[in-house]
Amino acid sequence: MGGSGSRLSKELLAEYQGSTLTGSLPSARAHRRFCELLPQEHRSVEESLQARVSLEQILSLPELKANPFKERICKVFSTSPSRDSLSFEDFLDLLSVFSDTATPDIKSHYAFRIFDFDDDGTLNREDLSQLVNCLTGESEDTRLSASEMKQLIDNILEESDIDRDGTINLSEFQHVISRSPDFASSFKIVL
Amino acid sequence: MSASALADDLALSVYDPATAGNDAGAPTAPATGGEGEPHGRHREARLGSTDKELKSGAAAADSVRTAPGTPRQRGEVMDAAGGSRNTLPRPCHVLVLLNPRGGKGKALQLFWSHVQPLLAQADVSFTLMLTERRNHARELVRAEDLRRWDALVVMSGDGLIHEVVNGLMERPDWETAIQKPLCSLPAGSGNAVAASLNYYAGYEQVTKEDLLTNCTQLLCRRLLAPMDLLSLQTACGQRLFSVLSLAWGFIADVDLESEKFRRLGEMRFTLGACLRLVALRTYRGSLAYLPAETLASRRGPSPARAPQDPADTHVVPLEQPVPPHWTVVPEQDFVLVLVLLHSHLASDLFTAPMGRCSAGTMHLFYVRAGVSRAMLLRLFLAMEKGRHMECHCPHLVYVPVVAFRLEPKDGKGVFTVDGELLISEAVQGQVLPNYFWMVSGYREPPPSLKPQPSPRRKSQQMLPPSERP
Repeated sequence: MGGSGSRLSKELLAEYQGSTLTGSLPSARAHRRFCELLPQEHRSVEESLQARVSLEQILSLPELKANPFKERICKVFSTSPSRDSLSFEDFLDLLSVFSDTATPDIKSHYAFRIFDFDDDGTLNREDLSQLVNCLTGESEDTRLSASEMKQLIDNILEESDIDRDGTINLSEFQHVISRSPDFASSFKIVL
Repeated sequence: MSASALADDLALSVYDPATAGNDAGAPTAPATGGEGEPHGRHREARLGSTDKELKSGAAAADSVRTAPGTPRQRGEVMDAAGGSRNTLPRPCHVLVLLNPRGGKGKALQLFWSHVQPLLAQADVSFTLMLTERRNHARELVRAEDLRRWDALVVMSGDGLIHEVVNGLMERPDWETAIQKPLCSLPAGSGNAVAASLNYYAGYEQVTKEDLLTNCTQLLCRRLLAPMDLLSLQTACGQRLFSVLSLAWGFIADVDLESEKFRRLGEMRFTLGACLRLVALRTYRGSLAYLPAETLASRRGPSPARAPQDPADTHVVPLEQPVPPHWTVVPEQDFVLVLVLLHSHLASDLFTAPMGRCSAGTMHLFYVRAGVSRAMLLRLFLAMEKGRHMECHCPHLVYVPVVAFRLEPKDGKGVFTVDGELLISEAVQGQVLPNYFWMVSGYREPPPSLKPQPSPRRKSQQMLPPSERP
């Protein structure tokens, strides 16, 4: 537990490279930021690699705070059974998917999971409505009215639901998202 | 001068050039070559001088080129016979410029299924030219022998009309070339011009094949109307013309990562657009404009005023400060700035429900920073039916103007002009009233500036003028 012990060695970093979802080299900065969320006395390398950080703490990171989908993002990357905490590996996975090195395919795959609020494998009207509420906020004066919401969801389905089954599946979603010029900038987190 | 007197004055100059006499901008007779008509022969005789210009391209290029926007020699091309200068001849022959990749690749199919049968019944013969790439139409139109056609029909989106108009204005004989009537048949993303003309004709707001059919029927009916043109100058000295709009900010931004350009026509709020809200940012800049009201009060009583040179009337060089009678919006953060010549920004975005601008005026909208995602979303949803002004969003400002200047302050500005990308440090422009002709659906003066709810026809049947409500 010395001073130098709280920094990941190059060898350890390289070991992690193989295990992240996109194969990119995790930065020492990511490790530092993760450690900052741990209690002072538990920031050694060995402990940090075993520790789990609660969702609330991850959500306090400034880079995530402003993202309207921050809760879903954390839930999707959490590997704990109750999906309420992130290990360092989970954290690295999150960062790698949101980095510049992730392919659009990987990003859109995870975006789909993030928007699938009920985790049933498709985006139905309820999922889309929750998506919109994340954007607008849920307080009385900001959320859309029922008719505005219907209009928007009708527009979305008309554009995206190619097989007209009332829901958006992964491939329909990826098809639409890949054409969007805004996807990359809205799905980016850089520490 | 009262607003109604001004409207009368403008109405005179718009619809009866023969009596206006002092208007520098009213279009003159379209140079058609209709067969078997007395007017045609009459025009052909006068076309002799134009023929020489068109044939000897090299010679024309050597001749001194008058700057676009200077008053034309009105006596030369005025149709003394009157009457048919506002309609296409019957029969007529048109050039159809079609982008086969438009309408999700179905444009050509749609032409044969929805357009050609109606044209055949209406004695409109055509030659079809497919455009192969960006600026192809522009190049074609620059070099084309326009005498062969009574009108140029553009079947694509607003971007192709933009190319055609700019191509015409780039010709040495631009003064006559710009009088060639145009027609917009929607088949692509971004059909705001077609949607606006559909609206002015009194049709219900429709999209896709219905809009295409309506516009084809307008072509078959052959009525022409004068249209304003927005003359733009950029910081590097480039000059270009817009038929519909210039936008900056939320609507226009380019995603530099994907280099995918947010096209104006895809403004309808869908999934991709929602993501745009996630990354919502502001744009710092300064804006100045000449309100239509200010201009009206400065002009004083007409009709004795001297003809004005449209090019220089309102704007001063970009390096100089704007004239003192302009309104200046101090440098601040904006979400978007939009100047719009027509009622629609997309076939289902009724952006300017406040009534059609009188000739020489355009709509200026801007949204200041501080607007919430929810409010912005709400505005665009309401815009489908033209009800966004009822949201009373305190960040949204609307002014009818005749000229504007926009200077982005955080790097080079990214603008969209008629849906096409323009990057510049600053841009300014003014409206040239009644500068070109388009197939349209009305002959009466445009509605007043007060919003007038009028019964919209549901059927596509066009009532003859005498039976219109």
